Amino acid sequence: MATKPKIAFFDFTSCEGCQLTVIDLLQTHLGLLDLVEIVQFREAMSERGEDYQIAFIEGSCTRKSDEARLRRIREQAAVVVALGACAHLGGVNALKNYWPIENVQTYVYGKNGKDAYESYPARPISAVIKVDAVIPGCPIDRYEFLRIVQLLLQGRRLRLPDYPLCVECKLKENACLNTLGKPCLGPITRAGCDAICPTYGDGCEGCRGWAPEANFAYMREILRGHGLSDADIDARFTMFNHFQFQHMGEPAPVTTSLGPDKTAPLPTSAFAAPKED
Amino acid sequence: MSLYILSKERLPQFVKALQGKFRVVGPVETETGYAFDDITDPAQLQMDYTTTILPPKKYFLPQREVLFSYHNEKENGGPQRLEMRPVYQDVQPTVIFGVHTCDMSGIMLYDKVFSEGFRDEHYMERREQIYIIGIECLHPCDEASFCKDMGTLTAPPIYDLHMTDAGDHYFVDTGTEKGERLLLDNAYVKMAEKEDIQRLGQVLSSKWPRFRMRLKMSRDQTPSLLTLGYQAKLWQQLGERCLACASCTNVCPTCFCFDVRDENDITMQGGERVRVWDSCQLYEFALVAGEHNFRESKASRVRHRLMRKGKYIKQVHGLSGCTGCGRCERACLVNITIPGTLNALHEEMQLEPGI
Ligand code: SF4
Ligand code: SF4
Ligand code: SF4
Ligand code: SF4
Ligand code: SF4
Repeated sequence: MATKPKIAFFDFTSCEGCQLTVIDLLQTHLGLLDLVEIVQFREAMSERGEDYQIAFIEGSCTRKSDEARLRRIREQAAVVVALGACAHLGGVNALKNYWPIENVQTYVYGKNGKDAYESYPARPISAVIKVDAVIPGCPIDRYEFLRIVQLLLQGRRLRLPDYPLCVECKLKENACLNTLGKPCLGPITRAGCDAICPTYGDGCEGCRGWAPEANFAYMREILRGHGLSDADIDARFTMFNHFQFQHMGEPAPVTTSLGPDKTAPLPTSAFAAPKED
Repeated sequence: MSLYILSKERLPQFVKALQGKFRVVGPVETETGYAFDDITDPAQLQMDYTTTILPPKKYFLPQREVLFSYHNEKENGGPQRLEMRPVYQDVQPTVIFGVHTCDMSGIMLYDKVFSEGFRDEHYMERREQIYIIGIECLHPCDEASFCKDMGTLTAPPIYDLHMTDAGDHYFVDTGTEKGERLLLDNAYVKMAEKEDIQRLGQVLSSKWPRFRMRLKMSRDQTPSLLTLGYQAKLWQQLGERCLACASCTNVCPTCFCFDVRDENDITMQGGERVRVWDSCQLYEFALVAGEHNFRESKASRVRHRLMRKGKYIKQVHGLSGCTGCGRCERACLVNITIPGTLNALHEEMQLEPGI
């Protein structure tokens, strides 16, 4: 057997759910290991090979020191794949970009957080290094992962569905949530997850990023029809895609400011650090 | 052919008798409405239903259909060659209950498209084993329908059996010999008598006033209207609104476009060639080599759909490209509708009312 391409997995700021999805996929598709050799995968093995051709990177870049590590991976790998919404879009991590970074650090890590933990506005990895392919989603779709790996191995053109989620949703004959009074971002979101959220009765939140022809103006009209305020709609639009809107330039199809706001109250969260006096 | 009477109490027995020998599908209740689905218990079958999200076309052209499988074969030391085996998916004796007359018109078009010119073996193999049992609509399914405008409120000659609700029994009309055999072999029916036939006439003629007309022109006028209105401003307005979501075409009983893809299995030594539904409302549909796209704007795509529905299909296949089923209107979140568009075009062209 010819030598198998060596692949490696890396994580930055993320929940590691995408890597977990890959591990879960291996339970049913062990044959993947006949195609590739995994040399580094912190979540699944202790070996750490530095000789790899394809790097799968999960997580967004959220601190200065991430940059050097990303560049090292880029130098080694022939192909870099952004794995999941955080790496692809910045994802939910970029929600912190609404506030000045010092406020976020103090809020999360306490009074001395600024000095104890490094942080800066979250970005997709493509903001730092060249990315050759993306596997969108929060978390990724395991079958799409498999498909992309196969295409990479064949040297074929990588392509994601370039149409909205509604296509997959209709093929499954789901009743449309937007007509049942439940907001769903399917019409502006890139398909590929087989419309998993609407299929189980939850509106799409756009974790796969926008479809290339996303019609934000009329999506807003549809959401207004549910009685949502423009601020609520902005919050939905930016949940996974805050960084995208920040970098769309004017006029971004949101009504509120996307930049750091010194006066905005930070959200209350059960996970935030306990109040210090 | 002949007309029979089937008492409503005996319908479940008919379904049960078929179940051993056929895949039986028909409208069933869902959480939010109705859908065509497999009937496992005759009580599930809802002959009196409004409409479904997808028309029964999914049994004629499945959303995803394997056309053939391939595998790399290497004979001891010899050269590699690709083995291909045709696959005929979902080919089995099937009875579809409860097909409305508009949807029968859609199937009639499908039959033409897939059998004339290029004969699609995969479609035909499946088609030959399907029995269609229609049901007459006595009330409009909802506000979105405009079957009366499109002339699809009468059953076209493609049914094997066609049922009309007459209170405590159904009139069952036989459209084909095999349909008649299916009925006589599996159901307790009696021949309709002279007064039954008169009653059927009353039921059928009394239904018409319940249906309204929505088009400001007759359906025969739509091809010329669309020719005149090819450059209308309307298309830009609709293009701006359109989400390019393809819901309108996916739910349409007359849309038949598909894409063909190869899906490799995990070994990468074999796989399947599949066809999946495609849509002219999507960007990539008209994208060709060299990155040229001959329907780049959404406006041109919306116009193309209307052209297909109101003109081209009629020209090519001799049948209407729209059945008036209203599904695209129910599915479209920005309210782009066939009657609304044709009427607006009629207005923009400042034509005299056609009817
Ligand atoms: S539920 Fe969402 S994804 Fe599905 S058709 Fe409606 S808007 Fe589109
Ligand atoms: S339905 Fe939307 S939110 Fe859910 S997985 Fe798919 S893209 Fe993500
Ligand atoms: S165009 Fe609309 S109304 Fe006409 S057949 Fe298709 S789905 Fe039905
Ligand atoms: S559109 Fe007309 S023919 Fe079709 S289901 Fe509705 S009422 Fe029946
Ligand atoms: S359903 Fe409406 S919004 Fe979607 S592609 Fe069709 S016309 Fe456009």
